[in-house]
Amino acid sequence: MTPVDYLQFVLAPQVVNGLALGVAVVLVALGLTIIFGMLDVINMSHGEFYAIGAYAALALGAAGIGFWFLLVLVPILMIPLGMAVERLLIRPVFDTRDRHVTTLLVTFGLGLIVEDVLKIVFGANTQRPPTPIPGATEILGIILPNYRIFLILVGAAIVLGVAFVVYKTRLGAMVRAAAFDRNMAASLGVPVSLVYAGTFAFGVSLAGLAGVLLAPIYSVFPTMGRDFILLAFTVVIVGGMGSIWGAVVAGLLLTQVQALASLVISPVWTDPIVFGTMVAFLVFRPQGLFGRLGHA
Amino acid sequence: MKPVLDIRDLGISFGGLKAVDQVSFQAQRHRITTVIGPNGAGKSTLFNLISGALKPHRGQVLIDGVDMTGAAPERTKAAGLSRSFQITSLFPELTVAENLRLAAQVLEPTGRAFLPVGRSTQALARTGQMLERFQLAHKRDDLAGNLSHGDQRRLEIAVCLASEPKILLLDEPTQGMSHGDTAQTARLVRSLTDDVTILLIEHDIGLVMDLSDHVVVMHQGRKLAEGPPDLVRADPAVQAAYFGHA
Amino acid sequence: MHDRLTQSMRASHLLALLFVLAALGLAAMGAATGDTFYLRLGTEALIFAGLALSVDLLLGYSGALSLGQALYFGIGAYVSALTLMKLPSFWLAMAAAFLATLIASIIGGLIANRVRGVYFALITFGLAQVMAKVVYNTRELGASDGMIGIPVIEIGFGPFSVSAGSPVGFFLIVLAVIMGLYALTAYLLDTPFGRVLTALKANEKRVPFLGYSVWRARMAAYVLAGVIAGLSGALYPMLRGFVSPELMFFATSGNAVISVVLGGVGTLIGAIYGSVLLVILKSIIGSWTEHHLIVIGLLFMLCVMFLPRGLVGVVRPAIETWLSRRRPAPVAAADPADLPAIIAETARTSR
Repeated sequence: MTPVDYLQFVLAPQVVNGLALGVAVVLVALGLTIIFGMLDVINMSHGEFYAIGAYAALALGAAGIGFWFLLVLVPILMIPLGMAVERLLIRPVFDTRDRHVTTLLVTFGLGLIVEDVLKIVFGANTQRPPTPIPGATEILGIILPNYRIFLILVGAAIVLGVAFVVYKTRLGAMVRAAAFDRNMAASLGVPVSLVYAGTFAFGVSLAGLAGVLLAPIYSVFPTMGRDFILLAFTVVIVGGMGSIWGAVVAGLLLTQVQALASLVISPVWTDPIVFGTMVAFLVFRPQGLFGRLGHA
Repeated sequence: MKPVLDIRDLGISFGGLKAVDQVSFQAQRHRITTVIGPNGAGKSTLFNLISGALKPHRGQVLIDGVDMTGAAPERTKAAGLSRSFQITSLFPELTVAENLRLAAQVLEPTGRAFLPVGRSTQALARTGQMLERFQLAHKRDDLAGNLSHGDQRRLEIAVCLASEPKILLLDEPTQGMSHGDTAQTARLVRSLTDDVTILLIEHDIGLVMDLSDHVVVMHQGRKLAEGPPDLVRADPAVQAAYFGHA
Repeated sequence: MHDRLTQSMRASHLLALLFVLAALGLAAMGAATGDTFYLRLGTEALIFAGLALSVDLLLGYSGALSLGQALYFGIGAYVSALTLMKLPSFWLAMAAAFLATLIASIIGGLIANRVRGVYFALITFGLAQVMAKVVYNTRELGASDGMIGIPVIEIGFGPFSVSAGSPVGFFLIVLAVIMGLYALTAYLLDTPFGRVLTALKANEKRVPFLGYSVWRARMAAYVLAGVIAGLSGALYPMLRGFVSPELMFFATSGNAVISVVLGGVGTLIGAIYGSVLLVILKSIIGSWTEHHLIVIGLLFMLCVMFLPRGLVGVVRPAIETWLSRRRPAPVAAADPADLPAIIAETARTSR
């Protein structure tokens, strides 16, 4: 095999597949990092919200609703769910002395419940919705599935959109003010409690959107969130808890490490490499690549 | 007489800001040395440098003649330096007695570290002394977090004193107290000099003049003047910087 | 003279005594009816109670949530299994598990204790996941299948010996080991050494200014917890005759956290009650539905939100009151005459 062939048939597809996975991870990690950055809450049930999004897409899709409509509908449906969870589960323990641990435990419990509910409603079997955009395109002699290209583009658009809202709009400024100093923000007229609920719901909604987008590629099963959340947490830690750009950079970087490492070593060893990176980051640079969102 | 605490040319900067710069002074045994200065003068940073909470970029801290520059808090503590905090820092979920016993347990021989606390006779005796001396005996089993602000401030001093330190660094012990409480606390602090040397940060100038044997004035990170209270008060530079427009 | 923490610990001891009596009752009933199933289940609950105990030592006393405590449980189990296959000796297996988890938890502690709070939770989670994946992919350790065929051992005490295959005998041995670990932990927590660990949870920032190294205290708690988890794990292959990577998975660590929260964080004995409760819940609910996670998750969530001190936290204060009434703590009499008049005045006016 010539170096050009290697590049074209081995390396390039691997990089693109890694990129698609990277975008997927970034989408899940985005909500996680926003919730942590703004609310100081570790949402252990984030992966289950991702699974809910995927199942919602599956069920509604089977009921005849088109994929394009689902991309909008499911995230909207996730918002009241997220708000309810914030009101009922996060708010009551928000002011306990050890908020991190308490909210982590509460959302961990919620994750257990959701996982089992999904199992009851949809069964334990793996399902897979049809690919919304079939076919493949050849770019520079590299054959790429259309849906993956779409995923990469949509993912980039979502990340940019979220960053724009958080960093450039008045709404984003209000949210960041509430994260930075709750009392100060409240005295400046920011509806802090609504902002918190809204931020949580927004993060949950992003997880749901990720579920819709990724279901056609990664299949749908009750524990799908559990497998994914590990990688998402890694990304959030390496990127710096609460940093949007950190999540993007770390997400793309780690998935590339994983994709490229699997060319050289057995794929089963790539997970330890990725987690090893996280451990190394926690040890040598616990603040991650970038600082905290609310405190930047 | 050899100073208990000898600060030599101490300095630290955060970014470009010299928070503490070329500060030197000494604290004499059984005397009260007070650091005064406007907000942001670097007083609390100075305390952090002395107690090991921060490592100085330059200069030296000598405790009883031993160089403790940049030593971790547990080591400056072992050298005989105890400090309180501007914002009360106790163990709110532990009882008053346990707060004191925990501080006093350094008095026990190391061999007792693995015997039940009930057998820490020295620490328990010291706890009893502190409870009585600070009039907290009737609250010994109350949780520290449930005490009134005044009681918490007194317990904070008692905790510092429980380990029988040589030097006590008190960071605004009267912070947040009523006028009456402040005067009482001042007299309490005065009564402590039989046992320890005191380095104090205080804002109440009347109190400072009353209480201190020696005053160090800080301004913008540097030492502006030092000397007996009366002389310092009369110093024109101090008048300008501190009492300035008064 | 007993202070309040000693008093709380004594209340836990009373609950521990009740627990042992109940366990002995179960053993007697099991022996009389020739039961195997319930005794084996009880033995397993006890083994996992050891893991929960180590989680409570960290979470309830030094204030650090470990989401990967199963790592040391798993290492203990694997090392014990490997030792037993070479030489079927209980004492050797326990010693090997002790040494291995001692070393592993020192290494793990050096890594995990560089960070605190939620980062500590996530790093312990990550460490366990990495090791679990490594074990899962190591053929020499049986990879995803684990290792089977661990011999049934005879456990010798001088002239006596008990077979690990005997449901009653092994139940009693596990009971003794786990309660021994409980007693050791409880003892250590009631010493000056242990009180520094407790201080970490109450206000870590203040600890160095009292003269204690935070790092050393955190390491001590972490290593102690690691060894406790490891020794408990070492019992697992003796009971089941196999080990598998699932022992290190998050589900195992998570179950230990659930046990501690249900039983009562910071009560020590709560971890043991919680473990047994979890096993009972699983088998009762499991008898009419396979979806026991909903019920357990719900109970767990309610506990975190409304019962942060768990079940033992509900009953223990009553026991403490009862104990103190039986043996009143000496009232420290303050004699105002001894005090400088100034201080007496201070107290009066500060009311």
